[in-house]
Amino acid sequence: MEYLLHILILICIYVILSASLNLLAGYAGLLSIAHAAFYGVGAYVVAVMALNWHTPWWVNVVCAVVLSGLLGALVGVPSLRIRDDYFVIATFAFQVIAFSVLNNWVSLTGGPMGLPGIPHPVILGWQVSTHLEFLLLVGFFCALTLWVCHRIVRSPFGRVLKAVREDEVFAQAAGKNVAAHKMLVFVIGAGMAAVAGAMYAHYISFIDPTSFTVMESIFILSIVIIGGAGSLWGPVLGTVVLVTLPELLRFVGLPSSVAANVRQMLYGGLLVAFMMWRPQGFLGQYSFEKGSGRE
Amino acid sequence: MQVALNALVSSSVILLVGAGFALIFTTTRFFHFAHGAIFALGAYSLFLLQVWCGQPTPIALVLAVVLAAGFGCAVELAVYRPLRTKGASPLVLLLASLGLYVVLQNALAMTFGDETKSVRSSVVTEGLDVLGGYVTPVQVATICTSAVLVAVLAVFLKCTKMGKAVRAVADDAELAKISGIASDRVILAVFAIGSALAGVAGVLVAMDVDMIPTMGMTPLMLGVVAVVIGGVDSIPGLALAAVLVGAAQQAGAWWLGSQWQDAIVFAVLLVFLLVRPRGFLGGRLRKASV
Repeated sequence: MEYLLHILILICIYVILSASLNLLAGYAGLLSIAHAAFYGVGAYVVAVMALNWHTPWWVNVVCAVVLSGLLGALVGVPSLRIRDDYFVIATFAFQVIAFSVLNNWVSLTGGPMGLPGIPHPVILGWQVSTHLEFLLLVGFFCALTLWVCHRIVRSPFGRVLKAVREDEVFAQAAGKNVAAHKMLVFVIGAGMAAVAGAMYAHYISFIDPTSFTVMESIFILSIVIIGGAGSLWGPVLGTVVLVTLPELLRFVGLPSSVAANVRQMLYGGLLVAFMMWRPQGFLGQYSFEKGSGRE
Repeated sequence: MQVALNALVSSSVILLVGAGFALIFTTTRFFHFAHGAIFALGAYSLFLLQVWCGQPTPIALVLAVVLAAGFGCAVELAVYRPLRTKGASPLVLLLASLGLYVVLQNALAMTFGDETKSVRSSVVTEGLDVLGGYVTPVQVATICTSAVLVAVLAVFLKCTKMGKAVRAVADDAELAKISGIASDRVILAVFAIGSALAGVAGVLVAMDVDMIPTMGMTPLMLGVVAVVIGGVDSIPGLALAAVLVGAAQQAGAWWLGSQWQDAIVFAVLLVFLLVRPRGFLGGRLRKASV
């Protein structure tokens, strides 16, 4: 039972991550492999504040979202000047730099040793400690994220994002402020990823930089692509598939020494297979080509 | 002086990886991430042949490079060519190569294990003394091989018929096809040459500093940084950029500590992407077209 709840909590965390990346990659066409960096920033801000200053739980989360959003704006800047594959490289650069900082700023982040003993959150006197309570908390944020994403993509703002994805020059010609839209969606996406990071830090109560590597970014991107970029439920489906499949492998009796490698090969292989036969993913609207998502 | 020598050695590796990457990038116009895995594959082939199969070093070296080249061709035939035939966009190819990289790296990890493997003899030899710094014979070989191979590549592209065909496909694949160039065959050749260069770099690094399955990512990204800074279609620009990146990496390691060297190089990359995305000597970057 505990195990099942654990899986559900992980699914909720990854739904928040992939739904927020979907706003960038699926709707706005800004393919980013820096999402684990925002995830990590969220986790570390919460952990550092809770451990060093004992500030209330919600203050930490708000700070994490704000800081990650600011970094999101910073990563958004190159998107105004460079496009497509060059932009992917720029986000890659941010990811590597963020990991370096987490790994090497030992006095603040504990470096490779990580930060142990992150306290459980206390919300209005309610101490969240059991798996079920965590599931309620994370599930709430997961639902909130999906609701916000739903509102965004249905709004005029969301329509402009899709227009930017399909034809940037046309969107500009129609009088839309392309630069402002790109920056704003980056701030929103990064902020949401920070919420997932905060949840992760509280739930696991120990964080170290290896949870926030390039590979993690590629994993989140795979979820979005396999589930279906540019559709609201695509990332949810992708998360359920990619988080539970490796767990099923556990029951086949795979030794744990190769389990991590098999898990990565699984999503890498799925990514290649989907690109070859179904680039829009299970439920997707967008297959990473200009004009592919036009109705 | 030691810093300068180290910089020269890492520049050579970056140049080799970057040249192969740039060759593939200019002809196919997509980011071949799996190039990093081919680099690691070259290194592990050497380990496989030399330690597991007991081949003498020279034969193992040649076979490892051939294996890397063959693997590059296999990837092109199995994944990239079908995708290109379907008219997939560069982003789709990039994502597929990202997936390939993940698969290959983990396949290496499962076959050979996650721990460090070595092909070096256990005897520690004192390096050669060059103007107050120390270099090992392998490092000298790295510098020479890199310089010679890249020079040969430049001449090949400039002077031979095949090289001309490569440049034609790079310029405009459609037009090249119309003029009777078998562009698929040219691209296959490009993958063979590019992957062989990555294989050479992998083998040299393996003999210098051992190997782990994830060893491909950093040299690949440094190579990409050099290609972006140097301009995608200019070999002199690439050489200049490789020296710059190698120098930034080693100088950064010297001043701030080696743990920061990745961060420094990528910070340089970001500055270049924002300020001068065409690189020093590259041609025009394609902007948004209506």
